[in-house]
Amino acid sequence: MPLESNARIVKELARRGYNAEREAVTLLATASDSAAALDSAVDGAPDDALRITAEHVRAVTDAEPFEDSDSSDGSSPSQHGGDDPVSSKSDDRSPVETKGSYPDSPNPATVESTADSGTDFRTTHADANTAHANTTHADADAIDHVRDPDRRELTVGNDMTGRSTGTGEYDDFVRTFRDRYERLSKLLRGRVNHRPADAIADMPGGSDAEMIGLVNDVRSTKSGHWLVELEDTTGTFPALVMKDKGLADVVDEILMDECVAVEGTLADDSGILFADSLHFPDIPRTHRTGGADRHVQAALISDVHVGSDEFMQDAWSRFTDWLHTPEAEPVEYILLAGDMVEGVGVYPDQDEELEIVDIYDQYEAFAEHLKEVPGDTEIVMIPGNHDAVRLAEPQPGFNDEIRSIMDVHDAQIVSNPATVSVEGVEVLMYHGVSLDEVIAELPEEKANYDEPHKAMYQLLKKRHVAPQFGGHTRVAPEDRDYLVIENVPDVFHTGHVHKLGWGKYHNVLAVNSGCWQAQTDFQKSVNIDPDAGYAPILDLDTLDMTVRKFA
Amino acid sequence: MRPDDESYFARIEDRLDEAWEVAETAKRQGHDPKPEIEIPIARDMADRVENILGIDGVAERVRELEGEMSREEAALELVTDFVEGTVGDYDSRAGKIEGAVRTAVALLTEGVVAAPIEGIDRVELLENDDGTEFVNVYYAGPIRSAGGTAQALSVLVADYARSLLGIDEYKPRDVEVERYAEEIALYDTETGLQYTPKDKESKFIAKHIPIMLDGEATSDEEVSGFRDLERVDTNSARGGMCLVAAEGIALKAPKIQRYTRDLDEVDWPWLQDLIDGTIGKDGAGDGADADDVDGAGDAGDGQTAGDGDEGTGGDGTADGDEGTDGDGAAGGTSVGPLRAKPSQKFLRDLIAGRPVFTHPSEAGGFRLRYGRARNHGFATGGVHPATMHLVDDFLAAGTQIKTERPGKAHGVVPVDSIEGPTVRLANGEVRRIDDPEEAKAVRNGVEKVLDLGEYLVNYGEFVENNHPLAPASYVYEWWVKEFEAAGADVQAMRDDPHVDLEHPDVDEAFAWAREYDCPLHPEYTYLWHDVSVAAFEALADAVVDGDVVEGVLAVERTETIRSALESLLVEHAATPDALRIPTWRPLARSLGVDDGLRRTWDAGDLSEAAREWNDGENAVKAVNEVAPFEIRERAPTRIGNRMGRPEKSESRDLSPAVHTLFPINEAGGPQRDVAEAASVMDDQGRRGRLEVEVSERVCPDCDEHTYEASCPDCEAHTEPHYECGGCGTVCEPDEAGRVECPRCEWEVTAAAYREVDLNDAYRSALESVGEREASFEILKGVQGLTSRNKTPEPIEKGVLRAKNGVTSFKDGTVRYDMTDLPVTSVRPEELDVTADHLREIGYETDIDGEPLRHDDQLVELRVQDIVLSDGAAEHMLKTADFVDDLLEQFYGLPRFYEVNERDDLVGELVFGMAPHTSAATVGRVVGFTSAAVGYAHPYFHAAKRRNCDGDEDCVMLLMDGLLNFSKTFLPDQRGGRMDAPLVMSSRLDPSEIDDEAHNMDIVREYPREFYEATLELTDPEELEDRIQLGEDTLGTDEEYHGFDHTHDTTDIAMGPDLSAYKTLGDMMEKMDAQLELARKIRAVDETDVAERVIEYHFLPDIIGNLRAFSRQETRCLDCGEKYRRMPLSGDCRECGGRVNLTVHQGSVNKYVDTAIEVADRFGCRPYTKQRLKVLEESLESIFEDDTNKQSGIADFM
Repeated sequence: MPLESNARIVKELARRGYNAEREAVTLLATASDSAAALDSAVDGAPDDALRITAEHVRAVTDAEPFEDSDSSDGSSPSQHGGDDPVSSKSDDRSPVETKGSYPDSPNPATVESTADSGTDFRTTHADANTAHANTTHADADAIDHVRDPDRRELTVGNDMTGRSTGTGEYDDFVRTFRDRYERLSKLLRGRVNHRPADAIADMPGGSDAEMIGLVNDVRSTKSGHWLVELEDTTGTFPALVMKDKGLADVVDEILMDECVAVEGTLADDSGILFADSLHFPDIPRTHRTGGADRHVQAALISDVHVGSDEFMQDAWSRFTDWLHTPEAEPVEYILLAGDMVEGVGVYPDQDEELEIVDIYDQYEAFAEHLKEVPGDTEIVMIPGNHDAVRLAEPQPGFNDEIRSIMDVHDAQIVSNPATVSVEGVEVLMYHGVSLDEVIAELPEEKANYDEPHKAMYQLLKKRHVAPQFGGHTRVAPEDRDYLVIENVPDVFHTGHVHKLGWGKYHNVLAVNSGCWQAQTDFQKSVNIDPDAGYAPILDLDTLDMTVRKFA
Repeated sequence: MRPDDESYFARIEDRLDEAWEVAETAKRQGHDPKPEIEIPIARDMADRVENILGIDGVAERVRELEGEMSREEAALELVTDFVEGTVGDYDSRAGKIEGAVRTAVALLTEGVVAAPIEGIDRVELLENDDGTEFVNVYYAGPIRSAGGTAQALSVLVADYARSLLGIDEYKPRDVEVERYAEEIALYDTETGLQYTPKDKESKFIAKHIPIMLDGEATSDEEVSGFRDLERVDTNSARGGMCLVAAEGIALKAPKIQRYTRDLDEVDWPWLQDLIDGTIGKDGAGDGADADDVDGAGDAGDGQTAGDGDEGTGGDGTADGDEGTDGDGAAGGTSVGPLRAKPSQKFLRDLIAGRPVFTHPSEAGGFRLRYGRARNHGFATGGVHPATMHLVDDFLAAGTQIKTERPGKAHGVVPVDSIEGPTVRLANGEVRRIDDPEEAKAVRNGVEKVLDLGEYLVNYGEFVENNHPLAPASYVYEWWVKEFEAAGADVQAMRDDPHVDLEHPDVDEAFAWAREYDCPLHPEYTYLWHDVSVAAFEALADAVVDGDVVEGVLAVERTETIRSALESLLVEHAATPDALRIPTWRPLARSLGVDDGLRRTWDAGDLSEAAREWNDGENAVKAVNEVAPFEIRERAPTRIGNRMGRPEKSESRDLSPAVHTLFPINEAGGPQRDVAEAASVMDDQGRRGRLEVEVSERVCPDCDEHTYEASCPDCEAHTEPHYECGGCGTVCEPDEAGRVECPRCEWEVTAAAYREVDLNDAYRSALESVGEREASFEILKGVQGLTSRNKTPEPIEKGVLRAKNGVTSFKDGTVRYDMTDLPVTSVRPEELDVTADHLREIGYETDIDGEPLRHDDQLVELRVQDIVLSDGAAEHMLKTADFVDDLLEQFYGLPRFYEVNERDDLVGELVFGMAPHTSAATVGRVVGFTSAAVGYAHPYFHAAKRRNCDGDEDCVMLLMDGLLNFSKTFLPDQRGGRMDAPLVMSSRLDPSEIDDEAHNMDIVREYPREFYEATLELTDPEELEDRIQLGEDTLGTDEEYHGFDHTHDTTDIAMGPDLSAYKTLGDMMEKMDAQLELARKIRAVDETDVAERVIEYHFLPDIIGNLRAFSRQETRCLDCGEKYRRMPLSGDCRECGGRVNLTVHQGSVNKYVDTAIEVADRFGCRPYTKQRLKVLEESLESIFEDDTNKQSGIADFM
């Protein structure tokens, strides 16, 4: 079997039980007879080796004539960066030469974001298909890039895997909501002078009052005003938002159980607060983003849905093939925001639409597909609503059995949501189930499926990934509310809605990555056209983003 | 009408008059809210329509029109009368339209159902954006009971009235059009529609309909877009509107078109597009369409049987067709017999504890036999009582089963003139069991139920469901027709005492087959179609190699032979190495083996066609090639079914039970004990002083204000006193009974809070009826009254109810619920009465015209006669005692019933009354049965708009209804007037009942052509000329009698009295029994049952509860206050009490372990097991503390 691509080499090695160093793979791919070289490399590797290294390959390839792949026979998919002491320096060749050099070559179209604050981007198919690879940029990426594991920094915060202490008691729920109130109200304390609900009730009529509370109820009155009931630990107090106050827009955005602050004047009988202004915890406009001190990139993907009839295996392979190209050298991180597999029992009669019916086989298959990714890539994954964990949020990062299946490339599997600090960039990863509800509840122009990042702005504004209780979103009570966005992230990464969209809100980059699942029958019936086969690539030093299309 | 029928009705009406007189005297005393009887008598439909609507003059006009035109046309004709003001007394245009619409719906539902009064709230005139006026019809949920045709026609009538009045059409705004589409889709997902219009269709209807359809919110779920519209009051789905648009206009477009064509003033050209189905076809993909069809089927399943009008016939068809296309004969290239196509539909939503009896068309299951037993027809299926016992008593008379065909569901009736089940006993013996006693005796030794026996379905059932006939079993009725056609003198043989035509001996059967060249008698016809050609050949070899010892054939015992004999249903015994067949000669002959065990053919003699017939899986052709006579297919059609609801026979009690409709607030404790409330002491040390909301009434003579119906001072009858709460104006009700304050323009009721000395009221009530507290255990009142004017009942009535052990329904009547079953002929002895009893109430002859002398003679049941279950009889006895006590001790009149034993009830009148209807039908008690059902003439059930597929309704004692029912007790809310006897029909007119009952066949035998036609899957309508149906005698003198049957049954109460479902304990016990039974029955795949129980019962339960858990409400344990989210304070904000969850771990977890265990035990698919495992881990993850586990993920990390 000819081993045309790096990905296939990795797969083949994986089949034989080895992980591989990226360099080793490149070496094998450039060997005149990759298959033979691979065989000998494996034979030559020490018995206790788990990972084929460049050393092993060289040990065998050096022994035979090493033919440089300059011969344009197409057997050589790519050349690698300059740090490789053995392979020839490749600065004389364009890193995008691979285009067309083999039939199923990765041919990513890119759309680049200059990512000015407040600018939104949407791919259109017209854009994407023009395939104008930004070569200059890619050149710079590839040629000088050194993949150095020692320079990587990756820490995960807010992970509750293995730390779920809730036992489903009433008190657990109360604790969760109190924690939400305490942490979010802190963010508002600087702006208003909070008085407890019971204290406001005792204030003289006509006085000014300010209160921070969780929204207990919002309803419109007959006369067209709004009644917003706020709750703190002492009780509730109603605030009336008059329709002529110019707050209509703000009221439209309110979701139940989020934390807001209201300033206003008490009615004469102190029974109600006439609101003058309303504040969300929000992201400060002054937020300064962090950044890597070198040029390195992260791929932000989600919703792979392995096991579904509609999983786009070809697009995925093109993506992983591309990861082996020099252009993709700087992509040292992959952040996967849930729905690795299609799952079982997610919707009625799902088994009829499953290519792989067995849930464990699905994860095995996913792990196989993950092995196509260069072995030294750092991977962080969180579960989604299709995964085999509880649906109630926060979702812990899988049981031991499934973790062990996905144990390739030493991926970090953490809970949903989680915060990931990558070389100074704070990324908040959340699968995105609440987006459905935000889109359903808020006016079209504020949140819709074609612009999923706008719904994400709302969550950032509320500093909570799934505020509304009792509706669509399910809550598992824990000792704290893991869904609060306590620290301002630099990047907010979600998936779930299978639509691609990104933009900046108060300097925070919100990215909803697309998916790797083609349109399902259900999506067809409700007229959802998913953005499948895209990989947003984030520059960790500049927070610029490039979207590549592989479908 | 024959004089005989005349005298029957006269007899009923005489007794009714007698009771009426007494009740009227009692009522006139003024102790009740109204001084007259509140259930008017309607002699015909026109009367009912008028009475239900309360519009004078309607009846007369309806009678005029009825002779000339159809009911639909009459409804349209009446519009003119309303508009011109010749009928009804309406001043406003909206009122005229409202009257016309209500009348139309009432007419089309025969004045029985509550839809015209409850389903249409009001009609109003609103303004279009261009300033013109349009008509808005405001529907409510109960419009459902009208059925699609009446719903659709109501819109047409409104439009017709609109055009006559010169009002403009409704011009919808775009947002309103969008709203209709969204709302109908929402309602469909929430509640389910029989037909789901696509969005484009909904929008199309909304755009073109000249009337605005509106209605009140019926669910809490709200639309997400198109909210807060100016002309739409609510953001929730308006159920009535959705029903009218989808099941009315969209589904019944062809029917409406028929009428719009005849009306010049009304023009709905757009209907054609709906009928052509071109709307919405170009948009959505075809895949989605197919799904929609399924969805519609589902919704249909959940629908109540209340809408059993014309609509259902049509809808049933759609479902049936899907499963039974005629061309479903043979799949692929193989050639085989025509068969009805198996359908899985009835297995959907299988419930734990309700077993499957036959998988779709599975061998070993119920065999279809055509015929109508005397206790059969009208959506019922006949099952042998021995089968009932052998399915572990899960079936009893009245148990509902969901069936594969011809309809969706049947009520089960016991019929022992069909073949019973065949079983294999633990000792290997295979035996057919035709005796219920034998079934009970061997039940414990049954290893496998090889065959469930026959399943009797009458021809009319196929007509009603418009289901192609399925191939008939070869049975005696058919054979005898063939025998006769072949030239045999059947009559002579019948008369010959030495000949048993139905069960001949072997030689006779051979001789008949040979001499008349007639197919072999069914008694000796085996189920060759259930064995393969290979098995057939193996069996022939085994028989040849066998030995005959003392007349019994012994063949070698091998698995092939055993299974072949079991599939053929050949009775045999087993020894360790042989199978012994006592009646072996028919088997041998069929196999082409003669009496000397010599084979008369060799393998080469079998034709290719016979070998390939149905891929070699069906040996019937092979048998016919080697046997010396023709052999028909014994049981080509098997009918799949499973248990639906259990039967019912129990008194209707409110929860908690109520003796008297008298309010006592919280003072009576959870039991609502009046005595306790009467002794509660208040702050000032006074006992039983309660501040309750009761009606304010005023005495016309002495002007005394009281809540009692009779003035405590002068005993005059008091009237409600309507005083406006705003301005104090005393108002008078208008003709329609509405009371509005002229100044404040709001509705005024006579209810007010006042202090009542309950202690005094209670003690005086006891005194007035001369009872002591010891005469009853407890007297239960109500917390508060739900009626508009909060009129309380005299406590005396409650005292007497409590004394006699009966309780009251919300309308003051005492009721008993029973599952409906039909019966057309009865034997006095099975009803536990004597021939004398029946003679006394007018039965003179038996079905053959012989004088009625003996208790075992079969007599034809009169249309309004009913059989009470034992429980009902006992309950009626108590009610009769209560009524007598009431007459004597409260009204001071002579006792009316004076019953001592239940025989005394024979001939007494009752009301039959079904849910969702507002008309009671007078029935007469004819006897009693130990079955837990209400047997009555099918026409009686149809008059109440019930069929017998598991429906239930209630009986009330006549005098109880007359004395104690009052409209003033009815709840003041939507649907409050449903299930209340607003009118009674004293005389049943077969033309005015639910026409489903007319499709019942009423013949003694079916013709030979019928049986032959079934083999061709013929459309049942093609045979309508050959088999008389009920509809054929309508309007003739014969309409009340001549309901013949093809099959007798020994006793209509055979089989278990109660289904095991009711006698078994908790759900787990029932489910174990269900799975055990699945293992035992050959026609049931136990793994599939287990899968379905998990899939449809356990998984939805676990998933649903888990979902509910993670977004639940909480409730205060002390004051009951509910919170959408847990209060941050932790405690109740209202009372400071303890707040707790409403969904606990226990309710989420309860089935998990069982489900996993069942999945393991029955070898369910890994997919199912994995789903359970994922759920189990989800539960652990939520309900267990990770850090408390022995070893956690922390170790791993």
